Amino acid sequence: MDTNLVKYLAELGKLEFSSEELEKTAEEMTDIIALMDTVKEIDITYDDLKDNHNVYLDNLRTDEPKASMPTSKVLQNAENTNNCFVVPKVVE
Amino acid sequence: MKLRDMRRALDEKKISAPELAKEYLENINKYDEKLECYITVTADKAAAQAEKAQEIINKGEAKALTGIPLAIKDNICTEGVRTTCASRILENFVPPYNATVMEKLEHQNIVMLGKTSMDEFAMGGSTQTSAFKKTKNPYNVNCVPGGSSGGSAAVVAADLAPAALGSDTGGSIRQPSAFCGVTGIKPTYSRVSRYGLVAFASSLDQIGPIAKDSHDCAILLNAICGFDPHDGTSSVNEVPDFTAKIGKPVKGMKIALPKEFFADGIDSEVRDAVLKAADEYKAMGAELVECSMPSLKYAVPCYYLLACAEAASNLSRYDGIKYGHRAKGADSYEELVIRSRSEGFGEEVKRRILLGNYCLSSGYYDAYYRKALALRQLIRKEYDDIFENCDVILTPTTPTVAYSPEITADPVQMYQADICTVTVNIAGLPAVSTPCGYDKNGMPIGLSIIGRKFDEQTVLQISDAYEQGFTPVAPKL
Repeated sequence: MDTNLVKYLAELGKLEFSSEELEKTAEEMTDIIALMDTVKEIDITYDDLKDNHNVYLDNLRTDEPKASMPTSKVLQNAENTNNCFVVPKVVE
Repeated sequence: MKLRDMRRALDEKKISAPELAKEYLENINKYDEKLECYITVTADKAAAQAEKAQEIINKGEAKALTGIPLAIKDNICTEGVRTTCASRILENFVPPYNATVMEKLEHQNIVMLGKTSMDEFAMGGSTQTSAFKKTKNPYNVNCVPGGSSGGSAAVVAADLAPAALGSDTGGSIRQPSAFCGVTGIKPTYSRVSRYGLVAFASSLDQIGPIAKDSHDCAILLNAICGFDPHDGTSSVNEVPDFTAKIGKPVKGMKIALPKEFFADGIDSEVRDAVLKAADEYKAMGAELVECSMPSLKYAVPCYYLLACAEAASNLSRYDGIKYGHRAKGADSYEELVIRSRSEGFGEEVKRRILLGNYCLSSGYYDAYYRKALALRQLIRKEYDDIFENCDVILTPTTPTVAYSPEITADPVQMYQADICTVTVNIAGLPAVSTPCGYDKNGMPIGLSIIGRKFDEQTVLQISDAYEQGFTPVAPKL
């Protein structure tokens, strides 16, 4: 895996790496992908219809309105002003 | 002291809950600086909970775990108590709610001693990716305790807690239990609610107990299972008493030994110890059945592709805005998110996000992710085939005993070390690890008993049967 691909994957994951980190990570990811490539040896196909039999649709919660968590608790781990999450300005 | 002995001592007033909590807190004060098991010790909370528990005991209203001290892995949300997941990104995160398992334990008035260290976001098998406490193995402080629930296994081994909760996505309860000479069970997927467990790989994660033996694991498991409307995947199946089959004979039971789990990659001392245990089961009247699991050679990549794909999605929630580390001085939303994540996540977490994004990307999705899904179906089928003729499967829990932290520098070597545990998560099965011997250097070896879905009772019955003839050696601290 080259540094350009690592950079692309990092962008997808909202991560950034220094140029030294990119080099090191590219080397590590090359070895990791070589291990993952083992799955290409076997010729099998995923059967979409076989899965998801463990979802218990009969036991979903009823759609009843009820009090949610208080705003103070929702915001207790965030930077906030006037009971709102604060982000850098996004509109020019 | 075992949990059941503790229950008796508390009920017979031979010891009080505050005295018991104090004993464990003293042990923590004495040894935790050396072992680095706890990220947070909740001494004040423990003292208050112990007082309350004693009032309930005095009224004769104690439940199975009332007044019992427990340690909790630091990826399980505890209302008002910092829950870091051993990551800088959650360094100051104080959950506004309890995980369902904590609600259940608090309903029984347990005494929480603290939050234990782990690999960051449960990604690792050594507890060396923890941003805060790189836990040592109580049997040899120059070796890792395993992971990711390394802190939980080490506290039980070192008597810094009589039992603990861990979580297991690819072996994270069983492997550290094996490395630290204690017993841990990964329940069937969906047995225990994942609500409030910080998500790593949602189709694989499961909370479970680590304790001194299988009987204690069963007692703790009794307290945490059951359907939870907050977790859409939690099972509606009836929860039996997991202690019910403990002590029942194993005569006539069929124990499968898949040959691939005893192949070349397994250390000879580990293999010999597990095969000796198999012989002991035979001496008890169980029948040993040789079998095969050809797909094992694909298990590690299958697991990492599935787990990392889910992790890449699950970890996208960390944006530096709602909770968690927030980068200073960012001028735009994009910069805030990227810098918060880049500063907050450690190297292994970043590698797994990259791998997850890689296998989900256009052009790679079919070759990797869907192939891993197909392999999951194959692995499940191979387990189903074995269970048509057998009651349980016996394997080593790990290919080697605990190793030096230096080995953890090679990610591929670390991933391959998960070979004995990952298929259980892939197939959603219950499995226990319990000690079956020690190598020439005195490091513990674990055997693993894998059962049919929702058959934790048999798994615990069979591991308990072995424990009855095994004398564990305590670590010298």
